[in-house]
Amino acid sequence: MAGTIAEKILARAAGRDTVRAGESLPVRPDYMIAYDFPGYTDVMFRQMHDDFGIGELAEPERYVVFIDHMLTKGNAKEQEVHQVTRDWCEFYGIELHEARGIGHQVMAELGYALPGNFLIHFDGHISGAGAFGALGWGVRRDLLEAWVSGQIFLDVPATTRFELTGDFAPGVDSRDLVHQIIADHGADGCAHQVMEYGGPGARAMSIDRRQGLCGMAMFTGAVSAVFEPDEAALAYARRVAKTDFTPQLPDAGAGYAAVHSYDLAAVRPRVVLPGSARSANTRDAAELAGTPVTKAFIGSCASGRIEDIRAAALVLDGRQVAPGVELNVVPTSDAVHRQAEDEGLFDVLRAAGAKIARSSCDFCFGYQKPLQDGENCISTGVLNISGRMGSTAANIYLGSAFTVAASAVAGSISTAGEVGRS
Amino acid sequence: MSAARDYPPPPDVIRGRVAWVFGDDFDIDLVIGVENIKSYDAEFLRSKVMRAYDPGFADRVRPGDVIVGGRNFGYGHPHYPPMVALRDLGIAAVLAGSFSPGFWRGETYNGVPLVTVPGIAAAVATGDPVAVDWRAATVSLGDGRVLRGTPPSDRVVRVIEAGGSLKLLLAEHART
Repeated sequence: MAGTIAEKILARAAGRDTVRAGESLPVRPDYMIAYDFPGYTDVMFRQMHDDFGIGELAEPERYVVFIDHMLTKGNAKEQEVHQVTRDWCEFYGIELHEARGIGHQVMAELGYALPGNFLIHFDGHISGAGAFGALGWGVRRDLLEAWVSGQIFLDVPATTRFELTGDFAPGVDSRDLVHQIIADHGADGCAHQVMEYGGPGARAMSIDRRQGLCGMAMFTGAVSAVFEPDEAALAYARRVAKTDFTPQLPDAGAGYAAVHSYDLAAVRPRVVLPGSARSANTRDAAELAGTPVTKAFIGSCASGRIEDIRAAALVLDGRQVAPGVELNVVPTSDAVHRQAEDEGLFDVLRAAGAKIARSSCDFCFGYQKPLQDGENCISTGVLNISGRMGSTAANIYLGSAFTVAASAVAGSISTAGEVGRS
Repeated sequence: MSAARDYPPPPDVIRGRVAWVFGDDFDIDLVIGVENIKSYDAEFLRSKVMRAYDPGFADRVRPGDVIVGGRNFGYGHPHYPPMVALRDLGIAAVLAGSFSPGFWRGETYNGVPLVTVPGIAAAVATGDPVAVDWRAATVSLGDGRVLRGTPPSDRVVRVIEAGGSLKLLLAEHART
């Protein structure tokens, strides 16, 4: 039976020849991933040990834990939180990756997000693994089910296919595309489904752009997103893989809930109004031109990759961040940080007055330099709900790294214009 | 994630009234206000729940009542305390045209019967009596109409019958 990428990945993970959208069945993830956070991992480990009586794991290699939140205050509480995680990971023999960057990026660099793999996490932004042809599914508390049983019951999702052609215009990237898709099809346009990307525009898109696009899938209601793994994805995978992997392509005749086509050349800069990423909040960036900003942020699991930093450097080269504006740039991982230094991009950004911070999740959730009452922030972060980056009386606008950098220079929402391709 | 409450499984048929009808894309955090989404304190939650919509809500709700939503209920970045606040008052189920996946998964884990019934928000009003067969996804209204939705999978039925996923998993996998 012809299958979509998601159906074929889930069939393999379920040990079945085929599965069909709508079926409910237990599936074995290749990796069961978490980041340490109080109330999440500490509780799960305690439940696993005390309530389930699990003294050792049959397959510790399928468990992965990152320390990427709460890294920037250096206080006793942070140390306490992380020590609990270190102790449990040592007890169970689980691989712990500490302070190497944002887990949703580091999982790719370390070879977990391989083509054809099925990954789960309590956090939905694991969907960024789709850039590599892997299926990453955020299952919230159901991660515990997988941690104690090695499998998780899922309803096999339907898939909406996105056929991409063309290439982005200068100053436009996949962040603008995802908000255009939400604007066109609604905040539940792909509800409970997987978004599958293919076509010449998908193949022309850089891996970084694919990660940013797939990582935002939840805002269309999707449970995940996945690109057809092409030569670029396979080359990346071969470089980082420590295990075998089985890339999955959609079969001819696979059944889709819908098929949508996008010409990337027609996508314009989008900015999302504070509150949520829903379609009514998505605007042509030009409509919001002149809206003053005091903070600008490039980072999060949906941005801060080398392409985003190159975009910012293109915009900021020879310019200055406007007086009264603070631009914080947080690379998605330490590896990205080193590359940006090597390419001289951070020299450009520092000369423009940007602040470069160590890679972590801490800006995006309001832990590091929280926004104050009345501030307006333009951000590449994943969420703009009230209170997400600090005060509930601050406003968060979302846009691409191009738009954030241009807005930081202008002191108000602005697009990058004809800055050239990054 | 921690400090949720222990609630018993629902009866086969939940009988109560519609306590409130929300619109499409409803963000559950608004039930207690985004500035309060970290609290599990019962008294505090009672003082905040639904204040922005109906200050008398906590006093008039009775056990067995349900809340109703439109399409994509639970959209946003849902936290757990709002549903804790509602369940503490006796809210027994959520009926909606459709549910946002994150909310659906998180609250199914917690054992809340989430009943998908397309068009429900337009079909009922606050105060209407309802009888909800959550396994069959049917909602019987006081005037004799019966609305039919999408029944949950067998696994989800077992989760709800157990009073939440943790209890089911303990029954299935605990080695102690």
